[in-house]
Amino acid sequence: MNEQLRAISELDRVIHEPGRLMIIALLGVVKECDFLYLLHETEMNKGNLSSHLTRLEEAGYVEIEKTYRGKVPQTLLRLTRAGHAAFDRYRKGLKAVF
Amino acid sequence: MDRPKRYDNIDGTGEMFMGLMLLGFTLAGYLEARLAANSSRWTHGIVVYGVMIPVFGFGFWARRVIKNHFTWPRTGYAAYPRVGDKSWWIGIVAVLVISAVLGAGFACLRLFARQHDAINLPRIGMLVALAVAYPLWVLRMGRGNPWKWLLVIFMELGLVAITFIVPGDVDALFRPVALFVGLVWLASGGATLSSYMRHTQPPAPEVE
Repeated sequence: MNEQLRAISELDRVIHEPGRLMIIALLGVVKECDFLYLLHETEMNKGNLSSHLTRLEEAGYVEIEKTYRGKVPQTLLRLTRAGHAAFDRYRKGLKAVF
Repeated sequence: MDRPKRYDNIDGTGEMFMGLMLLGFTLAGYLEARLAANSSRWTHGIVVYGVMIPVFGFGFWARRVIKNHFTWPRTGYAAYPRVGDKSWWIGIVAVLVISAVLGAGFACLRLFARQHDAINLPRIGMLVALAVAYPLWVLRMGRGNPWKWLLVIFMELGLVAITFIVPGDVDALFRPVALFVGLVWLASGGATLSSYMRHTQPPAPEVE
């Protein structure tokens, strides 16, 4: 198989989905953020965002922490070390393709 | 990705903070000008730090209050990463080096200006620095608000006008210029905050 085609087939499918890619790209440049921030920035609906985050959490790429800001519940999200590494690999993979 | 970085100023707090700092410098400058001519450097230092430390503290606190009560409940909370564990030291060293370079450059300009009476380079240098800072900010952080370019034009015209109106050396010019630029930054931040508040609403609470 052609090297470039192989690079495409080796792209991380968890990250490759556009919704999850948006989330990973946003989390990649912040230390942490809350659910509302991602909702506002990605313009997804809550259900979609929640299911993508669950998928990313299962893959070990995102850490989800339920906490409170004063008396208001807050869901804090951050990229794990594995998430950063996977995103780096994904970017390098894409560069290899194009 | 630039967007999350620009999010930090989505509510105009960055601009308001810069404006507040400039107003603090203006106040310190006016107070310093009222000191006796033979005042020591320590007295001048105490006046400057006595004004700037509370102004900085107030700016930091006000920014936090706006974020906490308006921004984070409306469009969410985001914290930005430190570059590394040594980032504080790197920052401090960078500020010291930049200050030293600017100070040396400024001293050279003064020396040059004393020898060549035709143009006052320190005045020009200060005006250029202040005239360039806000357009750069708008270019980098204010892409979502095209109306800020009108404010840029207003600021540039204002600076030209002040230069012609206010006589004297760079010290005499600094106070009115810093006051004007500080007020423009503050107004720009205030207008950004007002626009942000009008166009965003906190999400409706979930029905249990």
